Amino acid sequence: MIPRVARPVSWPLRLLGVLATLAFAFPGAYLVWRNFTEGADPAGLLLSRNTLGPLARTLQLAALVSVSAMLVGTSLAWLTTRTDAPFARFWRVVLPLPLVFPTFIGAAALIRTFNPGGMADDVLSGLGVDRTPELRGLVGAWFVLSLFTYPYVYLPVAAAFRQLSGSLEDSARVLGDGTWRIFVRICLPQVASAIAAGTLLVFLYTVSDFGAVELLRYDTLTRAINTNQLANPPVALALSLILLVLAAVVVTVERAASRRLPEIGRHRASVTVTYPLGRWRWPVTGLLALAAVAGVGGPMIALVDWSVEGLNRVATGGRALTIDGGDVIEATVGTLQVSVLAAVAAVLAVLPVAFLVGRHGSRTGSVANAVIVSAFAIPGLLIALSLRFWTAQSSVAFELLSDTMGLLIFAYVVRFGSLAMGVTLVAVRSVPARVGDAAATLGAGGLRRLVTVDLPLMAPGLAAAAGLVLLSVMKELPISLFVSPLGYSNLATRIFSSFQDAFVAEAGLLAVVLVVLSFLLSWFLVIRRAEHL
Amino acid sequence: MHGITKLPLGVGTPLLALALVAAACGGGTTDRTLDGTAAQIYDGQCASSADRSVTIYSGRTENLIEPVLEAFACETGIEVDVRWGASTDLALLLAEEGERSRADVFLSRSPGPVGFLESEGLLGSVDAGVLELVDEQNRSDTGSWVGFSGRKRVLVYNVDDVSTDDLPESVFDLTDEQYRGQVAIPATNGSFVDWFTVFRDQAGTDVASQWLDEMVANDARFYPNNRAIVEAAGRGEIQLGLVNHYYNFQESTAVGDEHRAENHDLADGDIGSLLIITAASVLDTSENQSEANELISYLLSAPVQRYFSEETFEYPLAAGVEPAEILPPLTALEIGSVDFDALGGGFEETTAIIEASGILNQ
Repeated sequence: MIPRVARPVSWPLRLLGVLATLAFAFPGAYLVWRNFTEGADPAGLLLSRNTLGPLARTLQLAALVSVSAMLVGTSLAWLTTRTDAPFARFWRVVLPLPLVFPTFIGAAALIRTFNPGGMADDVLSGLGVDRTPELRGLVGAWFVLSLFTYPYVYLPVAAAFRQLSGSLEDSARVLGDGTWRIFVRICLPQVASAIAAGTLLVFLYTVSDFGAVELLRYDTLTRAINTNQLANPPVALALSLILLVLAAVVVTVERAASRRLPEIGRHRASVTVTYPLGRWRWPVTGLLALAAVAGVGGPMIALVDWSVEGLNRVATGGRALTIDGGDVIEATVGTLQVSVLAAVAAVLAVLPVAFLVGRHGSRTGSVANAVIVSAFAIPGLLIALSLRFWTAQSSVAFELLSDTMGLLIFAYVVRFGSLAMGVTLVAVRSVPARVGDAAATLGAGGLRRLVTVDLPLMAPGLAAAAGLVLLSVMKELPISLFVSPLGYSNLATRIFSSFQDAFVAEAGLLAVVLVVLSFLLSWFLVIRRAEHL
Repeated sequence: MHGITKLPLGVGTPLLALALVAAACGGGTTDRTLDGTAAQIYDGQCASSADRSVTIYSGRTENLIEPVLEAFACETGIEVDVRWGASTDLALLLAEEGERSRADVFLSRSPGPVGFLESEGLLGSVDAGVLELVDEQNRSDTGSWVGFSGRKRVLVYNVDDVSTDDLPESVFDLTDEQYRGQVAIPATNGSFVDWFTVFRDQAGTDVASQWLDEMVANDARFYPNNRAIVEAAGRGEIQLGLVNHYYNFQESTAVGDEHRAENHDLADGDIGSLLIITAASVLDTSENQSEANELISYLLSAPVQRYFSEETFEYPLAAGVEPAEILPPLTALEIGSVDFDALGGGFEETTAIIEASGILNQ
């Protein structure tokens, strides 16, 4: 580790950091303000039985999911980036895909595939298994959310592994250390901060999720918020604020703890070490396949079954589908447009903060960082409501902003900027300070250094950051529904419309399109690029 | 609104529709006609653009309502903009947008969200002439909303696990030992919350709460919504479920023979046979009040009511349209002749009772 010298911060950079803080504080400020105007009593409510039960269950679930997603995400990342596992490229594109399922349909599809009377049951009953266990409650929610959230760990950690210098590992090997020992003593410490950042995201996402816990019937804080929103608004607002405070506490604790973690090696790896798996080659392939089958195949089986059923029905003269090719294309274009724009915007928004924190150790940066990351625990619906609320406070803002694509992209950035934050920070820190210093000595200005030195070196990390945001925006629902211009539709909104009234064929077809699209996007925009650079 | 002479239903609707069309077609027609499902509702030539528009916040699903709105836009030349979403979420959105909201009409899947908006003071009144297109029990006394289709509460059951002889007559039978662990309740779902609020109103809060407690003691199981119950009943994960009739029709149409569940009608007059209506209302701040009313009366016109009955498997509420034969017959007693307005604060207590019953952790 090289001791870091805090360098003075230029005022434009500091200004960008302040602006980012303000932008990401909109939802939190809304919750505080509305608690105040509604006369809500979060402190009094905190200790009531109706709050403590769901709160405890939320914490329990989030902790369990964090641990399993951390283990799964980290091991998959190491196996696909640092070993000679077969079909590595394929796995690298497939393994992040569970991220793209909107949980309300992903969970429903997993239930349909795995639960009693579902497709796994049909197959297993042929093998003598009487009845598959029912996915529900804590175990069900833990299983489903672990599958859908491990990519939050997988993507940043895989990016970190690819940036690791091979020299330490080589030395260790020369000194006689085995693969496992090298992994634990050399690799793991160096990617620890990426693992911590990813796991934090898993925790916060689990706290914010409603779609999966609702269908798996696990009674958490988001359920309590949802139930009270119309019936008792002050209670719902107070519970939302409690959720946000919980997130802020967890983020602060994580920050404090991860300050002690070693940073990623500051030597860009020209050659990373690849470990031969030997006789573990095929068992490892089986393991990777198992992850893909559970996380991607599980939901896909039900989705494809619904689609095929619907197409059969139409072919045999039954009820026509309620969507046509035009709708699918319109929705696909809608999804493509916003997800790419929002991914780029999110990375740009957090980049100044990453520099403030990673290079200057600035306090402005730490505050911005904490605000951005905490916002991830706020359910999308509340972010949508907060932005509509704030714009409706002034007629000028409302006329100018409401129903615009600009506001929509802004809302996605606020919702998912946190995903880009951690990875971008790791990327900034991975650029050796002396490279920039050398460039400065040679007379390159700040902007020029950024473009010619920093950005190229950070590219794999930035691509991973953009990828995380991209896949998440593609599935986002409440913001897509409520902050968008009137008449806007995308795949997620169409899937929701179809699914809520049991048009499962339409929902299935659109979800298959969503998965294929995300596969292609990850392939062309993220994975290929990240590897070339 | 009582000052207005009420036309007999059969006469009033065509007259009104004619008047609307005449008013809207002032600008003449175009050569454009509709195709697909929308053409079943209106197959004439589209009116030329009337330079008028209406913005709808719709809790009713796009897949079902889009053809109706297309037909409306074509027939009247009024431009229609829609924001889709779940009814409760849209109600929250309307509350946060307040007086600046662009919404003119709110279409809700159940009465609860409408009641919420009314208590927030955001609803205006639907024109008396439109209100009177439906029977008294299917509209608001204050004129703030009007029902435009109905969904009946039924018991869905798995046909392989449950013999028809064992099906109950009343929701009160479901607390019997023979149904232990077999009944699913969508306890947090809007239509269940509405139903339970009516149940409290009709039978008294004590009786309703006791029923729920006994259901919990009988190991009734919590599911988040109607669709999830119907899907689970179709697989045999759950044997029985208290749901709206409508979802089983959708599910079996979509999935076919694989779906092993059917609806069972509880006895006429049993609270378990309540008709839950979907409601339309006009926002107080709407600057397009007349377009909004035209739209709502269009929803209550014969072709659209017939569409609701035949294509979406719902009960028509107006225009003398008979329910499709495939639907279980309605008796007069089953209609939800309940004063939701009187239950203004009722939802808060209903939610508290449901949370306290422990059903959410079963």
